[in-house]
Amino acid sequence: MKAWIDKYFSVIRMTWIQALEYKANAIVGTFAIFSGLAIEFLIWKQVFQAQELNEIRGFTFNGLMAYIFLCMIVGQLKSSWATSIEMIDSIRTGEMNKYLIRPISFFTYHFMMFIGHNSLFYIVYTTVLILFPILLPGYAFPTFIHIIGFIAALLISIYLSYSIYFCMVCFAFWFGEVRALVIAYNLSNIVLAGQIIPLRLFPDSVRNIINLTPLQFLVDFPVSIATANLPMNLWIPKMGMALSWCIIMTLAGRVIYRSGIRVYGGYGA
Amino acid sequence: MPIQVNELSKHFKMFKREAGLSGAFRSFFNRKYETFHALTDISVQIEDGEILGILGENGAGKTTLIKLLVGLLHPSSGEVSINGFTPWNRKSDFLKQISVVMGQKNQLWWDIPASESFLLNQKIYEIPEIQYKNTLDELVDLLSVRDKLNVQVRRLSLGERMKMEIIAALLHNPKIVLLDEPTIGLDVIAQLKIREFVKYYNEKYKTTFLLTSHYMRDIQALCKRVFVIHKGASLYDGDFNDLVNRVNPKRKLLFEFNEIPNQSKTERLSENYNFRLDDTILYAELPDKELTKLVSELFQLGVPASITMEDLPVEDTMRSFFKDPEKFLK
Repeated sequence: MKAWIDKYFSVIRMTWIQALEYKANAIVGTFAIFSGLAIEFLIWKQVFQAQELNEIRGFTFNGLMAYIFLCMIVGQLKSSWATSIEMIDSIRTGEMNKYLIRPISFFTYHFMMFIGHNSLFYIVYTTVLILFPILLPGYAFPTFIHIIGFIAALLISIYLSYSIYFCMVCFAFWFGEVRALVIAYNLSNIVLAGQIIPLRLFPDSVRNIINLTPLQFLVDFPVSIATANLPMNLWIPKMGMALSWCIIMTLAGRVIYRSGIRVYGGYGA
Repeated sequence: MPIQVNELSKHFKMFKREAGLSGAFRSFFNRKYETFHALTDISVQIEDGEILGILGENGAGKTTLIKLLVGLLHPSSGEVSINGFTPWNRKSDFLKQISVVMGQKNQLWWDIPASESFLLNQKIYEIPEIQYKNTLDELVDLLSVRDKLNVQVRRLSLGERMKMEIIAALLHNPKIVLLDEPTIGLDVIAQLKIREFVKYYNEKYKTTFLLTSHYMRDIQALCKRVFVIHKGASLYDGDFNDLVNRVNPKRKLLFEFNEIPNQSKTERLSENYNFRLDDTILYAELPDKELTKLVSELFQLGVPASITMEDLPVEDTMRSFFKDPEKFLK
C-alpha cells in the first residue's frame, strides 16, 4: 500500500514541480481564479442594484452569491475535461504507449495528474472557503459538520466526475477522436448538474430525469450540503447513492477500457 | 528460452479514402475498410543475454513486432511468452522485467529536468533507494551526462535526450530491453557512444537486447544475429555476417607496390582477376577466396608498400538486399 501511495503521490509531485517551473503561469492562474469569482460578484451586484431587488426566486443577494461561488468552486474542482482531452489525444496519437509499458494504471496515473494540476485551485479555494463564514455569514457552513459533509460530498463528486469522463475517453479506442463528446457532455453538465441554476429551481419533470442520473451528485449535492439546503437525515442515503454511482462508473470504465485496449493501435513509432 | 514467439500475426483494419475534400466527404458517408496484414506467422526464439537485430524496410513490421512483444498490442493470432509471461496481459511483474526505448517517442517529462522523471520511475518501479542511486550513478557516468541531469529536458540536445531516455529505461535493471531506432537523427559521435554503451551493458549485465535500426553500423557493431522481416513475414533468421556475405561476398583490396610492376605480368593476372591498376596502386573488389589468391600472386610480382583489405560498406550491401531480398535468400 505504501508503495502504491508513493508511486501515485510522485505523479502529483511531478505536476507541482512542472507548475512551479513556470512562475508567470502559476501567478496568472491564481489571479484568474479570483477574477472569475470577482466577475460573478460584480455582475450580480449590478443586477440586484439596477432592479432594486431584495431576492430572486427566494435567493437574497448574499444567498445567491454563496450558491454561485460554491457552484463555481465545485464545478472547477471536479471538472477533469482538460485531462480527458489529453487522454484522448494520447490514445489517438499513441502517446499512451509510455504508460502501458510501465507498471502503472492509465486511469489512476491521469487521476493523480488531474489532482496535481488542480492543486492550485484546491489551495486558493480552501482559503476562500475559510473566509466564507466571515464574508457571507449564515449562508454556508452553519456548523462544523456541514464542512465535513461538504468535503466528503466534494471528494465523491471529484471521483465520480472523473470516472464518467474516463468512460467517454475510452471510446477513443474505437473512434479515435471523441473530444466533441467530452465537450458536449461538459457543456450539458454545467447546466444539468446545477452549476449555473440550482436544481431545485428546475421543473419537476426535468429534475426527476436528472435524479435518475449521477449528475445530481456532481455539483448540487455538495453545494446543497454546504448551504444547508439538504436535510441532514438525507446525507447518508444520498452519499450511499453517490458511492454506488462511483462503483458503477468505475466498473463501466474498466469494462470499456479492457475491451478498448484490445483494439488499441499504438500508433506512432 | 526467455523469449518465444510462435506464429504471431497482427492485422489492422484501416479505412481508405481518396485525396481531397470530395474524398473526405464521400468517406464520411461511405467509409471503405481494408485489412492490413502487418505481421504474418512470425516465429522466433531469443536467448538470454543475446542482442538480436530486427531488420526490415519502413513498414515491414519491425515496430509492430516490438509493440506486440511489450504488450502494447494484442495479436490477431499466435503466442508470445517472455520469461513465462504473456505480454498483453501486462502483469506488473512482467513490466518490471522489460523496458522499451523508442527513438521517436519519449517518456521523460518535457518541461522539467530528467532527474525528476528518474525519481518518478524509481517510485513506479519500486526501486530501493540504494539500488537507485548506484544504478543512476553508473548510467550517468557511462553516458557522460552528469552535468545535464538538472537541465530541463526540452533544453537538451537530441543526443543528450536519447541518453536520458536510455537511463530512464534502465534504472530498474530490466532483463529485456527493446530499442526501436535508438540512434535515429543522432550525429556520428552520439551514435557511437550509444553503441558502445549497449555493448558494455549487455556484456556486464547479460541483458537481452532487441534492436531495430536503419543504421546498419548499429547492427554490425552490436548484433551477431539478425531477424529480417519483409512485408510482415519472416525472411531470414541467422548470422548477420553470413547474410552480408550472401548478398555481397566481395571484399575490397588496395595493394600498393614499391615500384611500377611488370606490365606483362599484370596483364596476365588481369585475365584471371578483375582489378584496376593506377601506376603503383591496384584496386580490386572480389570474393574472399579469390582475393586471397590474388594477394598471394601479387606478392610474387613485388614487395608491397602497403596492403589494405576491407569489407564493402554494409549500408550499401543491405540497401541492395532490401531491393530484392528474395533473390539473395533462395
